[in-house]
Amino acid sequence: MFEFARYDAAKRIKGSAYLAAGMSLLAAFAVWAYPSYSEAMDMEQLHEAFPEPMIQAFNIQTMASLEGFLAVELYMFGWVILLGLYFAYSAASIVADDIDRGRMDTLLSMPVSRERLALERFASLGVPILTVNVVTPVVVLVSADLIGESLSVVDVVALHLLSIPYLFACGGIGLLASVLFDRASVAQRVALGVTFGIYLVESLLTGTDYEGLGAIAPMRYFDPNEVLLDGTYDLAGAAILIGMMTALVIVSQTWFVRRDI
Amino acid sequence: MGAIELDGLTKDYGTVLANDDITFTVEPGEIFGYLGPNGAGKTTTIRMLLGFINPTAGTARVLGNDIRDRRALIDAKHRIGHLSDDQAFDEQATGAEILDLHAAVKGDDRRAELLDLFEPPLDRRVRDYSSGNVQKLGLVTTFMHDPDLVILDEPTGGLDPLVKHRFAGFLREERERGVTVFFSSHILSEVRRLCDRVGIIRDGRLVTVDPIETLLDRSGKAVRINSADPIPVEFIDLDGVHNLETSVPDDHAVDPHTEFTECTFTFTGDINALLARLPDHEMVDVSIEEAPLEDVFLRFYGGDEDV
Repeated sequence: MFEFARYDAAKRIKGSAYLAAGMSLLAAFAVWAYPSYSEAMDMEQLHEAFPEPMIQAFNIQTMASLEGFLAVELYMFGWVILLGLYFAYSAASIVADDIDRGRMDTLLSMPVSRERLALERFASLGVPILTVNVVTPVVVLVSADLIGESLSVVDVVALHLLSIPYLFACGGIGLLASVLFDRASVAQRVALGVTFGIYLVESLLTGTDYEGLGAIAPMRYFDPNEVLLDGTYDLAGAAILIGMMTALVIVSQTWFVRRDI
Repeated sequence: MGAIELDGLTKDYGTVLANDDITFTVEPGEIFGYLGPNGAGKTTTIRMLLGFINPTAGTARVLGNDIRDRRALIDAKHRIGHLSDDQAFDEQATGAEILDLHAAVKGDDRRAELLDLFEPPLDRRVRDYSSGNVQKLGLVTTFMHDPDLVILDEPTGGLDPLVKHRFAGFLREERERGVTVFFSSHILSEVRRLCDRVGIIRDGRLVTVDPIETLLDRSGKAVRINSADPIPVEFIDLDGVHNLETSVPDDHAVDPHTEFTECTFTFTGDINALLARLPDHEMVDVSIEEAPLEDVFLRFYGGDEDV
């Protein structure tokens, strides 16, 4: 068991290191930029200067504290949007790319079920997801300390923990696209489009009659503001995200098993 | 029980009937050639046998397992080797990494022996491989777990003549060990060298299944006669003469329609009847050879398609 997960995990180590380095740079830059922003202008005014749809899209609550600033600049942008899209995109090649390049026959001539192959390869996304969420909080906390700001260690750690099911759920969207389309490039575009689309639906329909539609969006169940500003952890949301990921994986497996390759 | 038993196996894509009600059995321990021109449906059959695509009707049993029983078929793959017609591996990985993965999943009792024989470059990344090297690596992954049945789809494509020769010898040894080989090809000389029996598929339909000798018998002999003096054409008025061509050099003042000094034909009649007539004339040269297998296939393909 787990031969394919191990194989794929090993292949993802290098990319994970680059990803963690990139997100750490973004984090360090956000923390480093905060004092000059807050000294140069009234952050409440900056907040008010944002157009309403943007405030809604980024769920901007306050920029007048490092927590509020990071929630928007690093976590809403970097985690919810960038990494969410990245993992949807990345997962979209799990099955489609092998079919596209004629490698699937070689893999399936081994005694392995399609369910297991899809699940193990999906699980290997854990390598980049865990790496980025272990390295970046350390960089955030150390950088904050260096500029003389204090952040709640528990809140930062909790935020990164809660982002794990969120990122896996986004990966689930990619996996589903991956079994639905034969061509990796199509699967990847669909995964990006769908993930970004439901993100927009969720954020822009908030407060309208169609708010209910946003319930299908993973973004609804992972809110960096809530964790950093209020110190509340949405465990029910995390459970829903795990359920979402599980459902997406099962639907993907079922489709993958039934289809012709 | 056959190693592979096809029972009305059908794949209908709606616009194309890729496999139409195919039924035959591959016996344990034989090398069975599955022949047809490109696009005849060979790969479709193989991909159904391995569970990659679902039949629209009929079924098959591979080592006794119904291909519609997914669990059983996956289990049986511990004993099956498969080489795809378009073998592809993870381009980023080295040959050794690929073999390690395959070994972990299905075992590698024969890895060292196969590496000695086929010598794929293990330390290089697959993306730097030539197509021949991909094929060599594929042969190692196909046989490394010592399967009882191997299913090979156009196995010699991309191999250089030396490796092809080595592969043919290897396949014969495998048969001696009791391994069943099901092997698709459109290369006729390969089939004649290796196969015990042959199934011919054309446009998705099975045309015939015969021992290779029967096919060769049926194909007849290629006969060429060169005589010192003109011979009347009645000489070759025999049953079983096909594709007759006669000629006389210009310096003989005879009608080429009634006499000849050179002739070639395909002969499916009694060879003794032909031989009995030869001493009546002074011969310069006579050759009686096996007809090229191409002719046999042309007969089955019934046209001048490229085989």
